[in-house]
Amino acid sequence: MKILMCTDGEEYAESAIRFGGRLAKEMSAEISVLHVRPPISPRNRVQLTTARKKLGEWNLEIPGVDALIRAKEILTEIGLTKTTPLEEEKVSQAFRIGVHGATELHLIGLKGELVRLRLREGHPVDEILEETDVGDYDLVIVGSRGHKEFSTRFVGSTALRVADLAVCSVLIAKNIKEDDDFLLCTDGSRLAEKAEITGAEMAQKLNASMTILSIAEDATLEKEEEARQLTRRAEMILAQMGIKANQKVRVGRPSEEIIDEAKDHDIVVMGSSGSSAVKKFFLGSTPLRVIEYGECPVLIVREKRGKISLQETTL
Amino acid sequence: MAFLSELVKKKWLFIGLLVGAGLLSAPTPEGLTPIGMRALSLVVVVFIFFVTEPIPLPGVALFIAIAQVLLGLEQPTIVAQSFMSDSVFFIMGSLMIATALVKQNLDKRIALAIVTVTGPRVDRIILGLVTCSALLASFIGEHTVAAMLLPVGAALINYTNRNWREIRNLSVLILLSIAYGAMIAGAGTPSGGARNAIMLAYWKKLFEVNMTYFEWMKFAYPMLLLEIPIISAILYYTFTPETKDLSHAVSALKEKVAESGPITSKEWLAIGIFMITVLMWMTISDTIGLGITALIGVLLFLIAGVVKWEDLNNSVNWGTILIYGGAISLGIMMKRTGVAEWLSHSFLAWVAPFGIHKGLPLLAAISFLTMLMATFMSSGATVGVLGPITLNIASLSGTSVIAAGFITVISSSFCFLTTTASPACNIIYGSGYLKKIDYLKAGWKLAIISFILVQIISIGYWRFLSI
Repeated sequence: MKILMCTDGEEYAESAIRFGGRLAKEMSAEISVLHVRPPISPRNRVQLTTARKKLGEWNLEIPGVDALIRAKEILTEIGLTKTTPLEEEKVSQAFRIGVHGATELHLIGLKGELVRLRLREGHPVDEILEETDVGDYDLVIVGSRGHKEFSTRFVGSTALRVADLAVCSVLIAKNIKEDDDFLLCTDGSRLAEKAEITGAEMAQKLNASMTILSIAEDATLEKEEEARQLTRRAEMILAQMGIKANQKVRVGRPSEEIIDEAKDHDIVVMGSSGSSAVKKFFLGSTPLRVIEYGECPVLIVREKRGKISLQETTL
Repeated sequence: MAFLSELVKKKWLFIGLLVGAGLLSAPTPEGLTPIGMRALSLVVVVFIFFVTEPIPLPGVALFIAIAQVLLGLEQPTIVAQSFMSDSVFFIMGSLMIATALVKQNLDKRIALAIVTVTGPRVDRIILGLVTCSALLASFIGEHTVAAMLLPVGAALINYTNRNWREIRNLSVLILLSIAYGAMIAGAGTPSGGARNAIMLAYWKKLFEVNMTYFEWMKFAYPMLLLEIPIISAILYYTFTPETKDLSHAVSALKEKVAESGPITSKEWLAIGIFMITVLMWMTISDTIGLGITALIGVLLFLIAGVVKWEDLNNSVNWGTILIYGGAISLGIMMKRTGVAEWLSHSFLAWVAPFGIHKGLPLLAAISFLTMLMATFMSSGATVGVLGPITLNIASLSGTSVIAAGFITVISSSFCFLTTTASPACNIIYGSGYLKKIDYLKAGWKLAIISFILVQIISIGYWRFLSI
């Protein structure tokens, strides 16, 4: 399994890295940490290169590199990486340029797995998507600051667009604190089933408790019974895997009910919506709405093109 | 799919060409010759390319040359000649001199000089940074100064707190003072920015006005000196720093500079040659031309061996020279084919009902238009495309051509709002410390104040100099 974590060096990204690092450690996953540097007009590239060289002469790290160094410190803190002699070396020189379109620094994980620190340049969303494409990752973890910044409302935050457009599963680590209580949402679809399995495995590795949630769209007996059956089926699937989970049914609009229920849990797991691009454009999709308006971390499970992600590689 | 997305990325190329083809086949409006109509189509297409950049800007310059010949507007030799002139020599020489200076380790000396004069108080350091950045940039251009002072700013930030995110305001304050200081200084002297050379070329070729290096400074420098304290103060009060005393950083910086020892004779030599060049610009360039003077400076650098040709070859933006050559060529073509005059007439006819046809209101309108355009495209391209029009408008309406030229050049350096419009802002942004929104926070105040200030200067000081 390969995990990609994105950082812009802010605090919320650090807690996402801390979570991702723990997850990777439990699952013995290979990880990359990516930082995307702002794009520079080619007109000024000559001068910018001069400026960066001069920063090196002053022994200063440029921002971006320092965000990656911070990520490395966190990973070392959780015991994911071995301390290598690189520690003492000047970091700006240890980075290699042009590895799959990025500047890269290799570290070795505790069990010999590769830990990569990668630096790209350009627009964050484009570069993260490009990285997931070339890196063949199974899971992308993106931090999100929550709703403090007004600009995300208009532009659509990086996290939201990555969640929408990535080819693999995405974890939006918004306000991530604890990880010992997972909320698995099901609507009976095949993707939702996959999401349950993936989420349950992850939760099991992290020793977390689980709740299966299904939503009845209105309060008729019929619909509620349908929802209850969905949770029961999900529970059975998990029981076969030897995993125990609680069940819950709520009534109302799916996205609203999930957001509300999520307040009592740590991480929400959902299947990616099967809606077509057109429908998504006009109506939005439940997972994206939960990411946008909810206050909790959301894992969106997606089937990778031509490959079943997550669970097969970890079983 | 890849092919399709590549097409979508290049959409402005096709849109531009389609608009051009549409204009070519449209009926010629009154007052414009058929050749003028073809020239107008080219101007519109180039304008679209300059704003949207579907191909690299030097490519647009090539397009200007090719299209002039293919549209039958000009003979190939004449087009080639219009690309190279003393002004373009001047741009080339200035870029080379700036490169030669950057190659020396002067950034550390400058850093030491600044903190020695200002001491550890943040407000004084900011004033020092803006002043130093502006004064240097007015002679060697904003690109170079931003690249030279960025490490100085980064050093001050990092020596204050290793985690710069804990002192975000201070970081923004320090870096923006370097960026804005360098940016506004571009119009200070002719060598401050390549667009100044464009204006000099237009004055000379279109209106036979000869402006010397020293005269230029007399007109433009006071504006720059007034801006320095204003920028410092507005930045300081917009980004209240977390700490007001940088004693620790200043002493760390002094230690760092001490490591590199006393100034070497090579560094003195570089400073000396640069001083001589500036002196020559101020004195004898009226007779031998600014471009040739700059080339003398470059030659001296090469003779003295303070810079290697390889360094010049690798670190000069040769594309820039092509862009400015193309812009000047386009401007000359606009004047010769009557497009500039037709556009000016149309503009005047359009704004006359608002009372903007003469004097201050007209200059204010030109200034506003230039600021707006400079926000969306490079200031060189702005002056290149807009220059012939604004000069023509001024001459038609009986307003001073010199005042209109200066208003255009100075206003084109007021791109406080975006990270991309000015090279200095872009280079500082590329360091990764700043967010786009930081430029807006103080930028809007500075844009308004600068706009008002340049109008005051134009009715007060310039009139006093009787232009």
